[in-house]
Amino acid sequence: MMDWLQFYFNFRIVGNYIDVFIAGIGQTLWISILCLILSLIFGTMLALARMSKNPLIWRPVAGYIQFIRSTPLLIQIYLVYYGLPSILPIGNLLDETQTGILALTIHTSPYFGEIIRAGIGSVNRGQVEGALSVGMTQRQTLFNVTLPQAIANVMPPLLGQTAVLIKDTSLLSIIAVFELMGAGLQMFSETVIATESYVTTAVCYLLIYAMMLVISGMLQNKLGGKAWQSN
Amino acid sequence: MKLKSLMMGVAGGAMLAVTATASFAETTMEKIVRTGQMTIAVQTQGPPVSFINKDGDRTGLAVELAQMMADDMEVELIIQDYDWKGLIPALSSGKADFIAADMTPTAKRHMQIVFTEPVFFSETIAFAPTDAPFTSWQELNSADVSVAATQASSWAETARKVLPDAELKEFSGGTAQAVQAVVSGRASAGLSDKATIAGFMSSIEGLKVLDGELAQEPLGFATRPDSMHLLLALDNYVRLIEADGRLTAALDYWWNSTAWEADHK
Repeated sequence: MMDWLQFYFNFRIVGNYIDVFIAGIGQTLWISILCLILSLIFGTMLALARMSKNPLIWRPVAGYIQFIRSTPLLIQIYLVYYGLPSILPIGNLLDETQTGILALTIHTSPYFGEIIRAGIGSVNRGQVEGALSVGMTQRQTLFNVTLPQAIANVMPPLLGQTAVLIKDTSLLSIIAVFELMGAGLQMFSETVIATESYVTTAVCYLLIYAMMLVISGMLQNKLGGKAWQSN
Repeated sequence: MKLKSLMMGVAGGAMLAVTATASFAETTMEKIVRTGQMTIAVQTQGPPVSFINKDGDRTGLAVELAQMMADDMEVELIIQDYDWKGLIPALSSGKADFIAADMTPTAKRHMQIVFTEPVFFSETIAFAPTDAPFTSWQELNSADVSVAATQASSWAETARKVLPDAELKEFSGGTAQAVQAVVSGRASAGLSDKATIAGFMSSIEGLKVLDGELAQEPLGFATRPDSMHLLLALDNYVRLIEADGRLTAALDYWWNSTAWEADHK
């Protein structure tokens, strides 16, 4: 069995590139986690702004969300990398990785925002009224009652969007950011073994996703999961 | 349960990839003779090796050499256009008979595919903005200098070897990305081959080529290890057009000058 597998998949050559793949996984992982945290924060802010009754707040936010959702990420990365330095002097201070994180956060936050907005909408109004009636402030109600339930309710779509975010990091190679896909391409360019290079890269992405799956399950349990379903 | 489904999906994907490497009973040359068609894989890269000209036709040095051979063999040339990442899988899976691109025949690559004798040679050069303080590539070997090159390319490898102190920035997407990075100030200088940069310099202002060559490397076409008849035919054809002057004429038109621009740009 192993001989048959070895004929089609050369583990020896993959082993020669294990350091490159470990470096790629590490880079993809930390970029993804940082973008995830930033996107959750900015996504929540966008969701709240989008739900504002003031048109001076929700209209620009809605426009931004539509712009991001209707344009390719590749172009957004280009605009941030090449366009930002000409608009803001600070743009030149950011290196390739920092620019990539910024571009991915700008891209992912609206998606997270729309998911979280749906989650907030799914929380029973009675929960908010109950919290306010026992003397909680608007801020306390938001952070202690509404958002925990909202995020628990929308954990599956958030996880799906996180998977997209992880895979989107592969586009950062266009602005010279080394990550997991770059590791696979390096192996492929040097050895021209397509199957081993691409399947190994795919398995590494799967490992990262599986890890996210476990973490999200733990987080959902921590937040109460289905026990907090409000309807 | 979700993890199990994922593992099953990956196993299925791996099996699909494995079947793509299936071998064929008929030799590649026998197939060309039987069908009267020779299929080549070319790279989507830009002038002068392979590009779309002003009339919307694919042309370039590699494409025209393959067309010349197909004409002499009196078979139809089918051109399949791939990104660099798709060239070898196209060859391995039998979608193309050989790769007509500027590939460097490294020892590691020879373990998977077979290369023809060198068809032409490329000179790796450095380029920088015209107002940059550098005059030769040796001045780039400094910690405060960043050098742009195509990701996982032989130019990036050259930079690692001869410019170890400079910061290497590897851009995916070909030389155009490296040129864009240099022009926009995201990198101090870039590395590529002489002919490709000559093509960019005629359309982009503000670039200069630094003195000296960092490396010279042979470039050849490639085919599958089981296509020995075709490999020998390709090698023979390269020697044939070298002897009758057609290779030199093609190189002078496409590679050693920008004469092609008048007809195709």
